[in-house]
Amino acid sequence: MPPELLRMIIAAVLVVAFVFLNAMILGYMERKVSAHIQRRPGLMEVGPHGVLQLIIDGLKLIGKQLVVPEGSNRFLFRLAPLLSFAPCVLPFVVIPFSKKLQIVSMDISLIFILAMTSINVIAILVAGWASNNKYSLFGTFRSVAQAVSYEIPMLLSLLSIILMTSTFSLQGIIAAQKYYWFILVQPLAFIIYFVSGLAETNRAPFDIPEAESELTAGFHTEYSGMGFSFFFLAEYANMFTVCSIATVLFLGGWKGIPLPLGDFTGIVWFLLKVYGLLFVMIWARWTYPRVRFDQLMSFCWKYLIPFALANLLITAVVVKLI
Amino acid sequence: MHPATEKLVSLLKEKSFAVEACDYAQRGYHLEIDLEADRLRELAQCLLAEEMYLVFVGGLHVAPAIEVVYQFASYDRACRLVVRVAADGDNKVPTISDIYHGANWHERETRDFFGVDFVGHPNLIPLILAEEDVDLKPLLKADDDLKESAALRWVTVEEQPETEEKADKD
Amino acid sequence: METAQLNLEPATDIPHDNRYYLNMGPQHPSTHGVLRVLLEMDGEYIINPQPVLGYGHRMHEKMAEHKNWMAFMPNTGRMDYAAALPYNHGYVALYERLCGIEVPERAEYIRVITSELNRLVSHHLWLGAFLLDLGAFTPILYTFIDREKVLDILEDITGSRLTYCYFRVGGVSKDIDDKFVERTREFIKYQRQRFDVYNKLVTGNIIFIKRAEGVGVISKDMALRYGVTGPVARGSGINYDVRKNEPYSVYSKFDFEIPLGQNGDSLDRYMVRLNEMEQSLRIIEQALDQLPEGPYLAKAPKKLKMPVGDSSFSVEAARGELTYYMISGGGDIPYRLKIRVPSYSNLSVLPELGQGILLSDLVTAMGSLDLVIPEIDR
Repeated sequence: MPPELLRMIIAAVLVVAFVFLNAMILGYMERKVSAHIQRRPGLMEVGPHGVLQLIIDGLKLIGKQLVVPEGSNRFLFRLAPLLSFAPCVLPFVVIPFSKKLQIVSMDISLIFILAMTSINVIAILVAGWASNNKYSLFGTFRSVAQAVSYEIPMLLSLLSIILMTSTFSLQGIIAAQKYYWFILVQPLAFIIYFVSGLAETNRAPFDIPEAESELTAGFHTEYSGMGFSFFFLAEYANMFTVCSIATVLFLGGWKGIPLPLGDFTGIVWFLLKVYGLLFVMIWARWTYPRVRFDQLMSFCWKYLIPFALANLLITAVVVKLI
Repeated sequence: MHPATEKLVSLLKEKSFAVEACDYAQRGYHLEIDLEADRLRELAQCLLAEEMYLVFVGGLHVAPAIEVVYQFASYDRACRLVVRVAADGDNKVPTISDIYHGANWHERETRDFFGVDFVGHPNLIPLILAEEDVDLKPLLKADDDLKESAALRWVTVEEQPETEEKADKD
Repeated sequence: METAQLNLEPATDIPHDNRYYLNMGPQHPSTHGVLRVLLEMDGEYIINPQPVLGYGHRMHEKMAEHKNWMAFMPNTGRMDYAAALPYNHGYVALYERLCGIEVPERAEYIRVITSELNRLVSHHLWLGAFLLDLGAFTPILYTFIDREKVLDILEDITGSRLTYCYFRVGGVSKDIDDKFVERTREFIKYQRQRFDVYNKLVTGNIIFIKRAEGVGVISKDMALRYGVTGPVARGSGINYDVRKNEPYSVYSKFDFEIPLGQNGDSLDRYMVRLNEMEQSLRIIEQALDQLPEGPYLAKAPKKLKMPVGDSSFSVEAARGELTYYMISGGGDIPYRLKIRVPSYSNLSVLPELGQGILLSDLVTAMGSLDLVIPEIDR
């Protein structure tokens, strides 16, 4: 077996394992953080402070029956969770966890990640359509409109960084932040990116496609067992991806106070920053009410996109002048 | 009596509605009208113009005919008005749901419980009861329990018949 | 004002095949009970919302015709489960007036104190549930912490936490003690600080204001036509409160205000209820200060003898005007008891309120009406 192939297999296993692990950590974190925000202890039963709860939950979900609703398109209904899960794993291949901890180093890794994350919307479309449920369909419509709209300010805000660094390579962007983090020179772009990221991952206050109090659970209303958990995994993987892009582009990636074996242990700083951002996401979710759909759209088109464009123009002029 | 209530009384009397003042301290409402079914809509229009809101519509199964009781009240003063309308032979009473929109549900409910037919109601389908219980009419009295309308009219405590005292002691 | 409505007139010109029906309920997170709303929709816009009632129907009115007052008392606590004491109150007060039973003053004070505590409980529940409808998950747990404190106080003297059966003809079933007074005073102090938390968490939030402002506008005229009462009517600027209009019990002895809204939208109703909580605290505070000594239960005959005829009694329940209208044929069992519940009239606005608004706004509007479905279905 050629060593390159072996490396890829190991990497693939690691990536999938990390996606599951991430979902467990985030699931635990979300429930614990939300519990403390709401002044209750949260998970306490399984293991010390409930740390093993998510394993039990996982087993439970695996053991559940996969209910396919009557009148639904069976093939598409089963396909949708996989369609949602698979593209969410792929960005992990190019995320630079540390200077040397990157499975594939691509010159266009940023574009690759953005392309992969936007496939998710197709999975939601398929899931909502195949469910044969009006609430799911509502969720789908909302989700597609939302994801398509918010991709624009997201890309525009990232382009400002690209203009500054002239590279799509994530390692290159990190290297460009040698003296300062880009959040210091591009705070507006960071805010726009982070807000769009919340919307892209269907997180509150933009969780309109899932809106429990309106649509029960939106596009995954009809899913049970592993069908549901794939969406769940995909959501958390997506959140991780969005936050790692933010970390790489604005927060200096794996850079931090040097540690021994800095080429590998940069992962500590990287994960700290990513989970810090994820904490903010969770914090926002459990604090704010949900915005309405038309407000969400007008916020995107009337505020985010113009500001992102202005920011891009100013960046372009400044970069040209320097 | 509140001046606005006095004005309302004189207005109603002008239109020859038989308004009677009641003892609020004993009965909890101020005015009472016994009405024929065909003048109900006229009264309702008059009351809406006087800014009285509809408190409830309820049925009452008595002999000889089912009565429908309406209570109106005012938002800005203590003034309650009870209107009793006896349904005609086929349990028919005109609807006021186009005048007081809130009466829509009350009338549907009364139709559920008593089978009163509100003539002109746009959507007289079961509200509280299920569709298959359309003829259940649960609040109709059994023949033994049914009382005359006149036997349920207000009598003051002093005028109460003494007869029931003995029955109580058993 | 017109943020929600501006896009769509009740759309009669939409071809029929673009419309479809959506069943919201009977099991849906935002209908707060087993209410079903049949929505005729065009996209996300609602053309015609029709509530379908009766899933929790128990025919209390029929039961009342076969039971004497004590046997029916538990029923009164089971209509509005969120604020049962005003239901107790109206029912016993009707009997007391009919049979000429004098209620000791201390009992009346206890009734007012417990009723107002119950109103607070109900508004706590509403506040949390309303914000849950808007997608804010956290406030309900904050309000429930406070609600729990009141429930503990009430549980100590009434014996139950939800479906109270505490009042008796002639008074109340159990006297309050110093411990109750002390705990209630402590709670008042605590609750006053908590309003700050509510305001910081919710009232000033821009997303909340944008969601609630101008949504579900009930004009004065509309309120009149539907017989809307309670905080919903007061949100529309109608200065109507049974406690002030026809003061029953000892309410005339207390100094309190009726908070009013202006536009009649969801935000106004929110503000009215929040201010009403403060007014309830004021009433409780004054009642505790003036609390007289004396018996808490008058001697009433075991078997009441009611005069023949009809009479009516209204109280201000947490959701609006509650009226018991009783027709008695003598004896101790009513010939007919009509119960006018506030949510019933308040919900009947919905078909008009919901025309041409978004599904999300319907959820907001329904949440702001503060519905308790078992009360509507009775």
